[in-house]
Amino acid sequence: MNAISDVPSTQPPVIAARDLTKTYTFHQQRAGLGGALTSLVRRKYETRLAVDRISFGIERGEVVGLLGPNGAGKTTTLKMLSGLLYTTSGDLEVLGFTPSDRKHDYLRRIALVMGQKSMLWWDIPAMESLLLHKDMYGLDKDEFEHNVAELAELLDVQDLLNIQVRKVSLGERMKLELMAALVHGPEILFLDEPTIGLDVVAKARVRSFLAEVNKLRGTTILVTSHDMDDIEALCSRVMIIDHGRLQYDGSLDELVRTTRPRKLVRATYATVVDGHRLTSLDGVGAVESSGQRVSLEVDRERTGDVLEQLTRLGPLVDLDVADADVEDIMRDLFARRSTSEEAS
Amino acid sequence: MNTFVRNARVLRRMTVADIVQQSIYRGAWIIFMAANICVPIISLLIWRTAIANGAGLPVDEQYITTYFVLLSFVTMATSSWMTGFLADDIRLGKLSRWMVRPASLLLGFVSNNLSEKFLKAFALGPMIGVLWWIFRASMKIPAGPGRWAVFAVSVVLAAVLVFTIDILIGALAFWMDDVAALAQARLIIASVLSGSVVPLALMPDWSRTFVDYQPFRYTVSFPVEIVAGGLSGSDLLVGLGIQLAYVLGFGVIARRVWSAGIRAYSAVGA
Repeated sequence: MNAISDVPSTQPPVIAARDLTKTYTFHQQRAGLGGALTSLVRRKYETRLAVDRISFGIERGEVVGLLGPNGAGKTTTLKMLSGLLYTTSGDLEVLGFTPSDRKHDYLRRIALVMGQKSMLWWDIPAMESLLLHKDMYGLDKDEFEHNVAELAELLDVQDLLNIQVRKVSLGERMKLELMAALVHGPEILFLDEPTIGLDVVAKARVRSFLAEVNKLRGTTILVTSHDMDDIEALCSRVMIIDHGRLQYDGSLDELVRTTRPRKLVRATYATVVDGHRLTSLDGVGAVESSGQRVSLEVDRERTGDVLEQLTRLGPLVDLDVADADVEDIMRDLFARRSTSEEAS
Repeated sequence: MNTFVRNARVLRRMTVADIVQQSIYRGAWIIFMAANICVPIISLLIWRTAIANGAGLPVDEQYITTYFVLLSFVTMATSSWMTGFLADDIRLGKLSRWMVRPASLLLGFVSNNLSEKFLKAFALGPMIGVLWWIFRASMKIPAGPGRWAVFAVSVVLAAVLVFTIDILIGALAFWMDDVAALAQARLIIASVLSGSVVPLALMPDWSRTFVDYQPFRYTVSFPVEIVAGGLSGSDLLVGLGIQLAYVLGFGVIARRVWSAGIRAYSAVGA
């Protein structure tokens, strides 16, 4: 399910970044006692470029996925957008504010959910945290009760609100985290690995909830995730960051089309067939044939012809036509970059 | 809703939540409090024994008794445990969860401090009451409300001063990997120079000027001295002025260090 909102093109972007850069300074220390003693008297400081002059704009209501391997700079970008970090250089404006100023009127309009960090008080029921947000965000009683009821129903957590947070499961906690983040109705929601560690059922629930929130409230969502199913389910647009640089910014479909222009066709037959006969057909790439199964890559415009040929190969039991797996695309993409860098 | 009202509501809510949270560990709490009151009681007994055995001290038994009984209360009212929590929040990136919410970060620290004091009062109040009752005959306390009023003001200023020093040391975690050693050093120095272990009246004459004007005196000893005696009217005014100056001075430094630290914050792991 893609959550795509109609965005009037005349509106300014809610997030505008130009040449956004962030560097960190840290010291290196060799392992062992020798390294520890050396570091007592002399430390070698290094500066690391975490985000390197990236520029982008995000329109109101968009759901954008921020992708990249570990250490690519996506979480640092998210931290700058949410005001946790000062930028080293470049211009950044979110909802007309400079995030690092952390103005009340800015923080009132955003929310950040970190999959690996709890925003809720651990030892007390989630309702206490919600009530704190009521006061913090200045919600009146009716608005608060309406939002709590709506979100609790969407997330199916009515029975969890008065239980100590540490007593609920990880999936349930993530639902409560989302509830706490959304109870004040933020215009922008920043999500850092929102489904990390969740089982498939909980992941599906979180995804459908986020899609619903985007649809119902028009909330702009920027999400980082290593789970491509999250990205496919939610994002109309992806930004790929690698080594701090923006490598791709566009739709997921376009990314798939440009990196893997061929469709994947998988056919299963009632009897053993020889799929290698199809290799000679126009527009057919790699063919794998084993017993009753045939898999092949086909040019998009030739898919119809090839499917017709497949029906003549034998008694067809099952046929599946799909784009390349996004997970595979990402793995290839990052592996290729890493290899080319090692080579250079 | 104006900022003050909103912050007051947030503070109230956070303080209640902190109390609820901390009261879960009631057993540990009582043991912690009992351990805290042991130091003044032991000191009191040692000094009373010394006086009973003819030790020549510049103060009498009434002063010593009043001093240590009041000390147990003032220590409770002014102490703070923020440094460790704050340094951990900074070092482990936990500060992030407060930074993305529209409320002053100070509110979280203040509510933590207030909830700590509330629970301390709950546990320590009866213990101090018993102590007072046992030693009531050996204590010399002012009859009028004037000194008690000045004492109350001074205790509040002392609590703010301790809290501000805590924030200042904790905030150094923005740059230092670990401030535990610094916090421990401060604790040791403060326990002596604040008068928590030995009344400052017993310090040698040659150190008098330093002892009287160093900041730690104003975190514990000065409020106690207001009631225990030995301070003239002008001493009181000068003392309160110095105490206020320390509160403002440390407040300004803590604020500047904090602002610079936030710029250096790297939100590790968050």
